[in-house]
Amino acid sequence: MTWLVWRQYRAQGAAALALLAAFAAVLVVSGLQIARQWHSVAAACTAHAAGASGCLDVSLGGSHAQLLIGLSTIVPAVLGFLWGAPLVAQEVETGTVNFAWTQSITRTRWLSVKAGWLLLAAALWGGAIGALATWWSGPRNALYQEQFQPGHFDIQGIVPIGYAVFATALGVAAGAVLRRTLVAIAVTIGGFTAVRLLISLVVRPHYLAAVTAYYRPMAGYSPPGSAWVVSEGVIDKHGHVYVGDAAALVNGVPVTAVPASCRSLLYAGPDTLTRTHLQQAVSCMQAGGFRGFTTYQPASHYWPFQGIETGIFLALAAGLLAVTFAVVRNRDA
Amino acid sequence: MSWLIWRVYRAQAAAVAVLLAALAALLLVTGMQMAAQWHSALVTCTQSHTCGNLSGTLFLGSHAVGFLVIMTLGVPAVLGMLCGAPLVAHEFETGTSQFAWTQSITRRRWLAVKAGSLLLGAAAVGAVVSGLVTWWSGPNNALQANAFSPGRFDIMGIVPVGYAMFAMALGITAGALLRRTLPAIAITLAGFIAVRAVIFSWVRPHLIAAVTTYIPLKSGFTPVGAYWQLAAGYVGADGRPISIPQSTNGQVLGTAVGEIPVSSLPAQCQALAGGGNARRLSPAARDAVLSCAQAHHIRAFLTYQPAGRYWAFQGIETGLFVLLAAALIAVTFAVVSRRDA
Repeated sequence: MTWLVWRQYRAQGAAALALLAAFAAVLVVSGLQIARQWHSVAAACTAHAAGASGCLDVSLGGSHAQLLIGLSTIVPAVLGFLWGAPLVAQEVETGTVNFAWTQSITRTRWLSVKAGWLLLAAALWGGAIGALATWWSGPRNALYQEQFQPGHFDIQGIVPIGYAVFATALGVAAGAVLRRTLVAIAVTIGGFTAVRLLISLVVRPHYLAAVTAYYRPMAGYSPPGSAWVVSEGVIDKHGHVYVGDAAALVNGVPVTAVPASCRSLLYAGPDTLTRTHLQQAVSCMQAGGFRGFTTYQPASHYWPFQGIETGIFLALAAGLLAVTFAVVRNRDA
Repeated sequence: MSWLIWRVYRAQAAAVAVLLAALAALLLVTGMQMAAQWHSALVTCTQSHTCGNLSGTLFLGSHAVGFLVIMTLGVPAVLGMLCGAPLVAHEFETGTSQFAWTQSITRRRWLAVKAGSLLLGAAAVGAVVSGLVTWWSGPNNALQANAFSPGRFDIMGIVPVGYAMFAMALGITAGALLRRTLPAIAITLAGFIAVRAVIFSWVRPHLIAAVTTYIPLKSGFTPVGAYWQLAAGYVGADGRPISIPQSTNGQVLGTAVGEIPVSSLPAQCQALAGGGNARRLSPAARDAVLSCAQAHHIRAFLTYQPAGRYWAFQGIETGLFVLLAAALIAVTFAVVSRRDA
């Protein structure tokens, strides 16, 4: 059985390896460049504490590097539709299932060996790309502390393994249910994108309870380390929340959040809004029970979040595989 | 022939129509919300005279819809992979080409009608998606003036039409050459990304020679409208860029066009700046240092593509991709005409 899988997939495996090698080569070149740049910056920055702000202006890798690393977010989907979707669907389309499913090897065994090897390959591939991206991002994480931010979290650490296994399982399941490769490919692309968006935008912020810091309105607050700020804004004494980008802002304060009595202070000036007016309005708001707030996931939640998200995607993959087994077992050859 | 096309592709056409309708509904609703937000912000900032720093304080729309809009970058590739690649390859795989190519309708006619309809369809989908995204981005373009920036330029205007036609043609050609759908799909994806990346990174900045403006250190300069900045920095008396160290340790002097490290100035001017934090110099001392630098013929420069060239760039890039598509289609015709049924 293993020999059969090897014969069927060796061309795909070779093509995949060639692509991985090409992508890795580009990443290694760009990563070494960034590391060199970082070392020359870090040596100078650590010498002077006052220089930290000067260091943040440095653009490590430039704008093209961002696009390059961004490409690794689509790798799991590519694995899913090129490897996963044809697994059952193409055998059905070409009629080879009639032969494969009437041998001494049971259908369950046939599917478990094929899907098993494929999922293992997907996990390895996802892990390899994830490890490369993590290494590449090292200097950027040290300088900008951005590894917890959406988009960066998604390509580093262990989550790429979960995504790759899920995408492949989705492809296999779609192919088994729909029995047509092209349709399965379309469903895999659409389904993977939808699930990823849904989980990263809606579910991820709630894996663990977030921490909220309160402070004087307009004072601003940046949580320590590579924390992920989920939301920030102004809250009044009744608990009503004015989120930063919900309304027109005056220097970071939503005008709608300023109570009418304090708002007159804002526009008291002759033409422009001065710092004094702003300070008066803020003091007035503070007296009225307004507080600024920042809700964030602390940096210590990074690895628990990685683990939870990987677990969710592995569980989804397991569910999809169970569906595939049920479909394949109950179908007539 | 047209009836055949309709029968073969009606399921795909229906699926595409449903997806487009969903996208249109989402973008119309959120786009109108954003327009309302933009107008109310304009009213408020006019009242408080703070419209100047609006681009730093106002965030329009939501991150989720923003993601979705950026993802329209992938629409051409998906069209090419799912509709273009199978056009010839799938007929080969199922053996229907043996039937299709031995009818009274010639092979060229068969290919011309099929490829023609798909390319037309791709152009239409590209135009609809781009039209929606362009309209949706209106307030943001007005706020951030970044329609010319890489990434934004690629999803608005007419270039998405060129990309869609190119991706579709690439899929058709890959399928005709490889005669197998899955490898053709993989090649279409890799080829589309590679060609787009090469043109994006190395060709687009040079489509028209960029404008470089030299600016005295003490006066400010910002080009009008949504310009595209390619490079900025400082040049010395010899006209060559001054090397800027990676780390500046706070020894940075504010000029009207940005900041220049004190260590990059001639020795006499460095002496004027003293050894302390250059950002905390008194206005008079700062002025003296800048005058010294100006006396040494140090100027700031900005290399950019002016906002007025936006449509010229859109036109050239679209033309480039349509030409590539035409070349690919010519290859497909040559391959299909020569191949045995």
